[in-house]
Formats: sequence, C-alpha cells, structure tokens
Amino acid sequence: MGSRSSHAAVIPDVDSIRRETGFSQASLIRLHHRFRALDRNKKGYLSRIDLQQIGALAVNPLGDRIIESFFPNGSQQVDFPGFVRVLAHFRPVEDEDTDLDPKKPEPLNSRRNKLHYAFQLYDLDRDGKISRHEMLQVLRLMVGVQVTEEQLENIADRTVQEADEDGDGAVSFLEFTKSLEKMDVEQKMSIRILK
Amino acid sequence: MSHQVKGLKEEARGRVKGRARSGSPPTGNRLGRRPSSKQAPKAQGTWGRRGAQRSQKECAGDSPSPGAPQRKQTERRRLREELGKQEPSKAEGTSEGRRKRDKRSSFKEQTAPSKKEKEILRKEKLKRQKKPRSSSLASSSSGGESLSEEELARILEQVEEKKKLIATMRSKPWPMAKKLTELREAQEFVEKYEGALGKGKGKRLYACKMLMAKKWVKFKRDFDNFKTQCIPWEMKIKDIESHFGSSVASYFIFLRWMYGVNLVLFGLIFGLVIIPEVLMGMPYGSIPRKTVPRAEEEKAMDFSVLWDFEGYIKYSALFYGYYNNQRTIGWLRYRLPMAYFMVGVSVFGYSLMIVIRSMASNTQGSTGEGESDNFTFSFKMFTSWDYLIGNSETADNKYASITTSFKESIVDEQESNKEENIHLTRFLRVLANFLITCCLCGSGYLIYFVVKRSQQFSKMQNVSWYERNEVEIVMSLLGMFCPPLFETIAALENYHPRTGLKWQLGRIFALFLGNLYTFLLALMDDVHLKLAHEETIKNITHWTLFNYYNSSGWNESVPRPPLHPADVPRGSCWETAVGIEFMRLTVSDMLVTYITILLGDFLRACFVRFMNYCWCWDLEAGFSYAEFDISGNVLGLIFNQGMIWMGSFYAPGLVGINVLRLLTSMYFQCWAVMSSNVPHERVFKASRSNNFYMGLLLLVLFLSLLPVAYTIMSLPPSFDCGPFSGKNRMYDVLQETIENDFPTFLGKIFAFLANPGLIIPAILLMFLAIYYLNSVSKSLSQANAQLRKKIQALHEVEKSHKSVKGKATARDSGDTLKSSSQNATQLQLTKEETSPPSASQSQAMDKKAQGPGTSNSARGTMLPASGHLPISRPPGVRTDSGHPPSQTHLWSASGKSAQRPPH
Repeated sequence: MGSRSSHAAVIPDVDSIRRETGFSQASLIRLHHRFRALDRNKKGYLSRIDLQQIGALAVNPLGDRIIESFFPNGSQQVDFPGFVRVLAHFRPVEDEDTDLDPKKPEPLNSRRNKLHYAFQLYDLDRDGKISRHEMLQVLRLMVGVQVTEEQLENIADRTVQEADEDGDGAVSFLEFTKSLEKMDVEQKMSIRILK
Repeated sequence: MSHQVKGLKEEARGRVKGRARSGSPPTGNRLGRRPSSKQAPKAQGTWGRRGAQRSQKECAGDSPSPGAPQRKQTERRRLREELGKQEPSKAEGTSEGRRKRDKRSSFKEQTAPSKKEKEILRKEKLKRQKKPRSSSLASSSSGGESLSEEELARILEQVEEKKKLIATMRSKPWPMAKKLTELREAQEFVEKYEGALGKGKGKRLYACKMLMAKKWVKFKRDFDNFKTQCIPWEMKIKDIESHFGSSVASYFIFLRWMYGVNLVLFGLIFGLVIIPEVLMGMPYGSIPRKTVPRAEEEKAMDFSVLWDFEGYIKYSALFYGYYNNQRTIGWLRYRLPMAYFMVGVSVFGYSLMIVIRSMASNTQGSTGEGESDNFTFSFKMFTSWDYLIGNSETADNKYASITTSFKESIVDEQESNKEENIHLTRFLRVLANFLITCCLCGSGYLIYFVVKRSQQFSKMQNVSWYERNEVEIVMSLLGMFCPPLFETIAALENYHPRTGLKWQLGRIFALFLGNLYTFLLALMDDVHLKLAHEETIKNITHWTLFNYYNSSGWNESVPRPPLHPADVPRGSCWETAVGIEFMRLTVSDMLVTYITILLGDFLRACFVRFMNYCWCWDLEAGFSYAEFDISGNVLGLIFNQGMIWMGSFYAPGLVGINVLRLLTSMYFQCWAVMSSNVPHERVFKASRSNNFYMGLLLLVLFLSLLPVAYTIMSLPPSFDCGPFSGKNRMYDVLQETIENDFPTFLGKIFAFLANPGLIIPAILLMFLAIYYLNSVSKSLSQANAQLRKKIQALHEVEKSHKSVKGKATARDSGDTLKSSSQNATQLQLTKEETSPPSASQSQAMDKKAQGPGTSNSARGTMLPASGHLPISRPPGVRTDSGHPPSQTHLWSASGKSAQRPPH
C-alpha cells in the first residue's frame, strides 16, 4: 500500500490528469509504469522510436498512424499527460460517464471522441476529410499488392460512394460517423484494463 | 513519413505474397499454433459458428459485461426524465420552447446540487463509520479490484436516488402498472446494493459478492476461450479461410461436421453391435459362419486376399455374416439380432434427424440477418483490422483474410453491376447444358456397358486383375475426369461463381448418381443370382451333415465327433458380399482421392515450384498451381457418406473405416490445400448457410435408404449366416421379440398398429400436416417481405425529409459562429437522447442537418453557437416534419447557450 502511494506521488499532476481523463488512481499508476517501461533512456518523454518497439503496432497496417496520433501538431515527444490523454480514448464507457456535467468538456472516451480518434487515423493530411487518395493509401497498407491497383481504386470509389452524402468525393467526419452507426464503437474501441 | 511507411509495408506484403505463392515448404509449415482464434471472425456451418462468434466477441475488445451497465444506464435515464418531468410542474413555463429549455436547465441545476449533496452525505456517512470500516474501505479501494472508491460512490448515489423514487412514488402521475413495476425495480435495487453501504457485515457480504461476480465473469470468459479452443481444427480452418476464402473453408467445415456425425454413428454401431458380439458372442472358429472354410484356409492370411477383404477379414465381426442368430448372448442375455436390427434402423434415423436439424438451424440463422448490406466497403475499410493482434503470424493471416474478404466483395459487386448481351448468354448456357447432358449420357452408357461386361467376367474363371476391377477403375476415372470437363464447359455460362458452384455440384451429382445406381443394379443382379443358388447349397449342406452323422462304417457305440466347422459346406451369404463390395469401394475411393491430391496437386505444385528455375517461361505465371476443387470434394464426401449409409447395415465395420478416412483426409487435405493450392481466381463468399450441401446430403441419404429398405423388407436373409438366418424376412426379429419378450397385450397392440387401415390414415394425416405447415410458413414469409418493404419505404421517406431539412439548416447556419466547446456540449446532449430507438434516427438527422456547416471547417467543429436559432425560427415550424426529438436538441442546445452567460 505504501509503495503504491509513493508511486502515485511520482506522477506529476495526478489529480488534473485524473480529472481530465477519468482514469482511476490504480490504472494511472499502471499506465505510468508502462510509460516508464517504454521510455528506455529515462528521458521523461516518449519519442516515436519508443512507440515503434511495441509489437502490436509493428504488425498493424495503421501502426504508424497510431503512433502519429500520439504526437499532435508535429511535436517530437509526448509526455505522460499526453500519453494518457490518447489512451483515455480507449477507456471503456461506464455508467458514471453518462452523468452529464455540462460544464465539463465531453469525456475523452465518448462515442464521438472514439470515432474521431479512428477518423484521425485515416485522415492523413488532417483536413477533416478522408479523401479517395487517403483511402487508397490506407488500402494499400491493408491489402498490399495482392489486389490490383484497379480493384483498389474500385474499392475506394465504392467506399466513398457509400459513405459520401454531400457529394464532395470525400468522407467527412459526420459521414464517417454515419457509416459506422451500426458499429458498436463503445465496445470495440475499449480496452478492458483501462478502467 | 507515410510514403516511407507505404514502401515498407508494400515490401512486407510482397514478401507475404511471395510466401503464399511460393507453394509448399513455407506455407505448409505455417500450420503451427496461434495464440487464439482472433483472425477471421467469420464462419459458416454449425460447428464453427459458436466459436467464431466467441472469437468475434473477443476481438470486440473486452469491456466488462455490456448488459448490466446498459440497463443501469437506461434506468438512470428514465429517472432523470422523471426528475425533469417533475421539475416543470413546480416551475412555471410560458411557451413550449421556454418550457423545454427550462426543463433542461432546471434539470442541470437540479442534478448538480443534488450531486453535491450526495457528496456531502456520503462523506458524512463515511465519517460516521468507525475506524476499522474506513480502513477496510481504503484497503479494498487500494486493493483495487474488488470495490473501488468510485464504484462505491456511484452505487451509493444510485441507491439514494432509488430511495427517493420510492418515497415520491405515490405522488407521481403514472398509471398504476408503471408505478408498480418501477417500485419493484427500485426496491430490488436498494435491497441488492444497500449492503454495500450498510454496517460491517452487510458491507463485507457485498464486497464478497462483488468479488465473486467479478471472478465469475472472468471464469466465464476463460471458459468460453477454452471452449473455442476445444473446437477441433478451428485453427486450421481459420487459417485456410483467411488464405482461400470462405468457400473453401465451407468444405472443411462440412468435413468436420461429417466427422462428428460419423463419430456418433461409430459409437452407436461399435457400442451396441460389434463390442457385445466380440465380448459375449461365440468365439471365432466355434461355428461354420465364424470359420474360414477349408478351401480358403491356406490363402486366408495373404495380403492380396486380405486387401480384397476376403479371408480372415471376411469372417470377422466387421461383416454381417459373422453374427450368430442366437436370440440372446452372454450372461447379460443381450438380444443381439434385435440390437443389430435396431442399430441399423437408428443409424438412418439419427442421420435423418441430424441433417434436417442442421438444415433448419441454418435457415433460421440466415433469415434473422436481414439485409445490412449498406456500407459493406466502409465497414471493411474502417473496421476490419483487429487492433489486438500482436503476433506477426496472426497479422499475416489477418492481412490475407482482409484481402480475401475484399476480393469476395469485389466479385459480388461486379456481379451485381454486370450488364451484357442476354441472348448470347442464353445461347451459351443452353449449349453448355446440352454438352453436359451428352457427357452424362455417355458416361451412363459407359458404366452400363462395363457392368454388363463384368457380369460376363464374373462367370469366367481366372480373370485378370484389370478385368476383375474394371467397374471400379472406370468409375474412378469418370469421377476424376468428368468434373474438370464440366468446369471447362461451365465457363461458357458465365454465372456468378457461387451460382456456378451450385450448377457444378448439381451436374457432378447427377454423374455420381448414375454411377451409384448402375453399381447398385449390378449388385442387385449379383444378389439375386446368389439367392437362386442358395436353395441348392442349402440342400447340399443338409445332405452332407446327414451323411456325415448317419454314414455306416463308424463304430456305433462311440458318438461321432462333430464335423469341423471349416468343413461344413455353406452358402454364399449375399449380405457379406454386399458389405465387402461397399468396403472395397470406400477404400478404393479414398485411395483414389489421396493419389489424385498427391499427383494432381502436390506433384504439380512441386514441379511448378522447382522447375521454374530452369524453364523457358515463367511457370508460376499462367496455368500453374491447382485450385482447390470445392465441388468435387464436397460431392466426393457426400457420396462417400451415401456408401457408408448403404453399407453399414451389411458391414458394421464400415463406419470405423470411414471415421479413419475422414480423420486422415482432414489433415491431409488441410496440408495439401495450404501447401500446393492457390486461392481461386475469383474468390467468392460462400452462402451463409451451407444448406445446399445439406440438401444434397439429405437427397443422398434418402436414396441410400431405398436399397437398404428394399433388401430388408423383401429379400430373404441367407440361411446360414448373419443374425437373421433362419427367418423368412429380416424384420421378423421385431415380431419375435414382441411375442417373446413383451406381454401379450402389447403384441396385440402392435399387431393392431401395423394394420394398413391405421397406417394409411396416419400417412394421410402427415401429408395434411405438411401441407398446413407449408402454407403457414409461406404466409409468414410473405408477411415478412411486406414488413421489410414497409420499412424500406419509411426509410425512403426519412431520407427525403432529411435532405430537405439539411438544405434548410445549411442556409441557416451558413453565417453562424463555430465554437468547439459549444459543439461538444451540443453533441453530448444529442448523445444522451440516442437510446430510445426512434431517437437514433433523429440523431443521425441532426448530424446531417449540421453536415454542410461542418464539412468546410477544419476539424469537425460544428454548430451554431448563438441563440439566434430559436429566435429566428418560431417553434413548431419544423415540428410538423415529424421529428420532434431533433427539434428538442436544437432548442435545448441553443437554450443552453443562451443560458450560459448567467452561470
């Protein structure tokens, strides 16, 4: 018990982080452990290379995009609050979270924020739209060269056609939300251990 | 960055592809164990389904049981609404819009203080608790898992709310029924959770309960994982599915199902017939039917003889002839002939039942899905990757399966958009059918010819090996060469591959059916011949025995030793002959299949792979590796099963052989497909239910039931072999048992039941029932279709409304400010309203309405901040569009923004 509290003391700004992300004390401590384990030179922050060590990200076609999402605005390092803030998207939606407090901003793990996070992964140039070109790039990552370029273009066209409602040839965030309406995002984009 | 990434990834893909195409060694070795079955959450067939669903759930991210929180959520929402309703009655509202705004804001104001109150309350309570309790609380919260502080607080809050509800229930303007249900729910809740806040014991009990509940959930999850792992060959099949598509996997799932069925049949026959006979029946060599005749004795152990299932194998418990007609055997007084008959019947009974049941469950599953085909590509594109994959091999599989599923969708898509010359297609299809009919007739005649010849051969002495096996060879050759021929011809027809597969299956089915029936006719001729001979042999036997015992020249005083069983002349035992015929056919079929795979697939793959280094052109390019032949394999399996059903009555050991065959073929074919086949050029999705396979299987089952039933009902059993020897007909054993083992009145009842006067009305009744049920199901499906149409029409109407509204809002919000914080709160409210079913549409609509405003702003920020919306638009203008909830959001949002400054 004592060791735990000392751990908690190590984390800077515990309370503000907690308030912002909704993580419990225990999981923050766990995340901090993980953070320090990833931070190999004890720099106090993580760089892209640190994150690229993670096996699951290395095999993921979108792994680089996920890593990129930790570094908003082109910065080269992410500190613990930033790290936790990204992970907070994956906190399971719980009962208490529906207790809306209008003065607080929307919690990071709301459906909309989860979806927005997913959207970001596809939106390579961050213009708020997934264009056909971006889609093609992601597709190439996902299926590689086994499918011909023409077919890939077909797929991209079809995807845009399905989701696009305002006819601008790209999928905006709203259209993205719409197309994934039936998907159980709250469940799927949750990691059980992040309570 | 991304370019570099792309390059890297493409390289990786290239490597994978190279592996997949490079044939045997690498991919063959990749059948290793995977951590769990998370790759391809898709499966057809009965066995696979549950596991697949489970694995899907696993992928879905493991949030704790979703049901309970949701329920609580709705409960809370309802409560909140009630509170909201209460509120306006106290406050005065002037206009409708203002009222609504009031409701919102007052609710907010009301919840916040109440929350604070609760905070205080709780703290007080905690203070009031004695020292040990608070420490236990601290420890439990720091111990973390069982009961955290937040959880406690939440429950406390809820309990308070419920208590409040109970107190104010009486004054609520609800109907009585609702009050009652609410009251009951609230009381239950309080009872359940008050323990958590109660004194010492209750609290500990509650903590214990919570702990147990958590443990239980975890255990259930682990158990489900375990169950998934227990499904045999799941990993292999998933592996194949991810590389070759669901159509190839459907064959293997079918094979696995078949294996399950055969295992049950095997258990039935071995447990009830063979093992009792071996354990309790008379031993080998005790009576003539259990002894190899003197003439065959020298060669009975030769391999060539055994290979033909003659010699010792013929006189073993694997065949009908070995069984004795003793009514009861052993100290158990086991009625073997009766058991033999009943098992023979129940093999068919069980098979029929299981086939029909799985067909029914397949149809039920397929109708439930409905059409959720919107956004196929979007779903695949955005959600197909499983982010929990951390193993590179699993990732490879996942890549393959995503690619495959994309290809499947492409094929479907292309097919639905195809337009072409209809006359040409029709002409080609007629031509193809003509050609195939010719082929079928030709092969039918060929078989007829060969069977005739073989009857001649059988009369001649010392025929060569080829002449003896001519029928089998011709049939195997036909089975080997006709399907590819059909496939070539079917290319003319240009069907969707799924439809094409069905046609192909039907044609090969016809071919095999012809083969089967010619074979059966030949067999029947043989049987009748043997039956004709039997009478004379019977006389000879009697005569020999009579002579042996009454011959002169033996000392009268000493009783003569009984004639050695091997010396007794005996009949030809047509039942065993039939059994042997089926046994041979099964084994030769198996061997032909394996050899075809080895030669046609494996050697070809090896050749292409290794000769490619020193060949003039690129062998791997055009006609190179074999594709997996789904139709041929499925039909082979089905007909093999037909043989088993037909033969199992006369050769009880046949099922054992078949179980072995299926087992080996599972491993062998899995290996062969992964090592030496390439995916189909047009990978297509298997239809969700493999009812087509099942339908064929049912047909074959029925067809194989006919000859067996015929022989049982109308042919006399051999006089000196088998459990029914000495009886006039095989089913006499039933009568005998009824007469001897049941009380007489039962016998009378059975005799009465067997009266045609009763059976015919019963059959009529069944027909009527079938007719009735059929018409009911038809009308139901019609109603279903109509409802679906209605829903679609509704959908259309909504869409048109939406587009109208969207334009209107676009005009409105064109000049409004955008502020992200506003936007956040707005959406929050929207979200809050989503749970009632009708509201989800309105939510979507709401978003749509905001769409144009957002699409040009950078980060999906949206919505009109200012309160000018409610002012510029009088309430009720858009209420008539039929979507009041959306109306509410807009109002409430703007209302909030209007109210915000005072805060």
